[in-house]
Amino acid sequence: MLDFLNALPGAVSQGLIWGIMAIGVYLTYKILDIADLTVDGSFCTGGAMFVVLFSQGVNIWLALLAAVGAGMLAGLVTGLLHTVCGIPAILAGILTQLGLWSVNLAIMSMKANVALNIINPDVLNRLLVSLRFVQDVGNGARPFYQHPIFVVGIFTLVIIGVLYWFFGTELGCSIRATGANQAMARAQGINTRRNQVLGLMISNGLVALSGALLSQYQGFADANMGRGAIVIGLAAVIIGEVIFAKVFHNFGLKLLAVSIGAILYYMVVQLVLSLKLMDSNYLKLLSAVVVAIFLSVPYWKGKYFSKPVKRGGVSRA
Amino acid sequence: MKMRWKAGAALLALTMAVGLAGCGNQSAQQTQSGTQQGDGKTYTVGIVQLTPHEALDQATQGFQDTLKEEFGEQVVFDYQNAANDPATCSTIANGFVSAGVDLIMANASSAVQAAASATGTIPVLGTSVTEYGVALGIENFSGTVGTNVSGTSDLAPLDQQAAMIQEWCPDAKSVGLLFCSAEPNSQYQVDTVQAFLEKLGYTCTQYAFSDSNDMAAVTQTAADNSDVIYVPTDNTVASNASIVDNICRPAKIPVFAGEQGICAGCGVATLSISYYDLGVTTGQMAIKILKGEADISQMPIEYAPQFTKMYNQAICDDLGLTPPEGYTPIPTE
Repeated sequence: MLDFLNALPGAVSQGLIWGIMAIGVYLTYKILDIADLTVDGSFCTGGAMFVVLFSQGVNIWLALLAAVGAGMLAGLVTGLLHTVCGIPAILAGILTQLGLWSVNLAIMSMKANVALNIINPDVLNRLLVSLRFVQDVGNGARPFYQHPIFVVGIFTLVIIGVLYWFFGTELGCSIRATGANQAMARAQGINTRRNQVLGLMISNGLVALSGALLSQYQGFADANMGRGAIVIGLAAVIIGEVIFAKVFHNFGLKLLAVSIGAILYYMVVQLVLSLKLMDSNYLKLLSAVVVAIFLSVPYWKGKYFSKPVKRGGVSRA
Repeated sequence: MKMRWKAGAALLALTMAVGLAGCGNQSAQQTQSGTQQGDGKTYTVGIVQLTPHEALDQATQGFQDTLKEEFGEQVVFDYQNAANDPATCSTIANGFVSAGVDLIMANASSAVQAAASATGTIPVLGTSVTEYGVALGIENFSGTVGTNVSGTSDLAPLDQQAAMIQEWCPDAKSVGLLFCSAEPNSQYQVDTVQAFLEKLGYTCTQYAFSDSNDMAAVTQTAADNSDVIYVPTDNTVASNASIVDNICRPAKIPVFAGEQGICAGCGVATLSISYYDLGVTTGQMAIKILKGEADISQMPIEYAPQFTKMYNQAICDDLGLTPPEGYTPIPTE
């Protein structure tokens, strides 16, 4: 148990990083009402873009920006496949994700795995986040503001702030309207196609940013790194919602709940690994089972446990 | 009321998690019960392995057997497997570092990268990595990482592979080097082996194909223009060895391979390394580090201690080649 508590800061850091991706998933899944599977590919695109540029000496912020840009491009492709080519959203996402596999390999010069030279202290010190910093801050070798929890926490808060502002603007509101009721939104003269494309771009930009941060944190980008990301994102969204739905009504707080959901998810993963509750080969199954349960509960609740409609309902109609 | 259902759902999820734990590994329980016996120091060794895979499993086994033989009950293993998810390697490494293990054994590239990211102090020994310079992004790699990272490489020494070609085909003049351009490891091996072969007096030409679609055409060109073909540990060839075999065997061009799997499919002979032995070598490095006899930052990357010279019986018969002394046939399944 002590091992688990010691491992918590690392687990929380990793959860926060994935939380940014989960916020991206929240935007498509909850706000746009599209299950966007592009994320499995664009997550790695962000990581690959970042590692390659950063290794070539590009400024870290520019490299992060390029990663976000690459992710937004991926979202653009999915959006255009869906809106212009009329491909169902889920299939459009799968197509982009599949194509991205090759694109990601091309970004990494046809290697399946590229590493940051973290052995070199100069490279290490230039990084914003690293798993190494968790221990370094713990034993006083680095100041607290280099702790990944602090750095990624700031990232998350800024992102939530910007999204909160954006989704309050006219454009942002029209995106929300698009997801809430497409037919009605179109009837109001909202360009729903453009909004879907825009939403997918923002979402995948965030996913790629998360991938870029994770590749810094773990010290490498790998062609496999985004596999199953959508399920982790959904798990975070759903865990956050189930726990905080009653408390958080504000849009910004809902995004925060998603981030906390991701943290909880990684705490559970670390708990399972630290306490050896089960073979780590079953982790993916655990994720899938947890997400399936949390997705089913609201449905079952509505179907089997809602109170029967009382007589006299007509008066409320 | 609603809150109660949520609590119920959470409880259900937890129950299932614990239920799954039933399938968990018994080896972990065994190792946990083995602590604190004898009077010496007890060492905890964390093992992070990328994926369950026959070769990787053997390396881990060799490593564990070596340490157990040396320390007996005084060594405790914490074996964790990332199920081929590179991100899980980080989570596992984080767990090891915060638990304060005495040494981390990282099996495969992603595992080494994650462990090197996780700690700058706890010794990290890698294994089953072909080239540490490539795996850790170090330019002009000298053979010693120089920090808390070292380990063993699964590469068969390329000078010995060049010597093997000379042993079989002393009269040959030109060697075609066949590989997939998308694989940096193959490029590295081909460049290195070319230097050794040219020193032995061969003329070398590189034949790179981009994927399995143009592989047959490139292989045909290589077979037409070479006396002998060499193939490194190339994954694309490994998956499509029959293409090479179908072209080279009728043309009577012997193929020498970088590893046993490819040789079984299309090669005449190979130097085969045993991943178990590689794990044993890694284990011996770990013993020195744990006993304080060696400083990991001074330890160069080590290679497998011995290689088995192997040949492919069926292809040798077809080409009319007689294996030199010291070669054993690749077992046919």
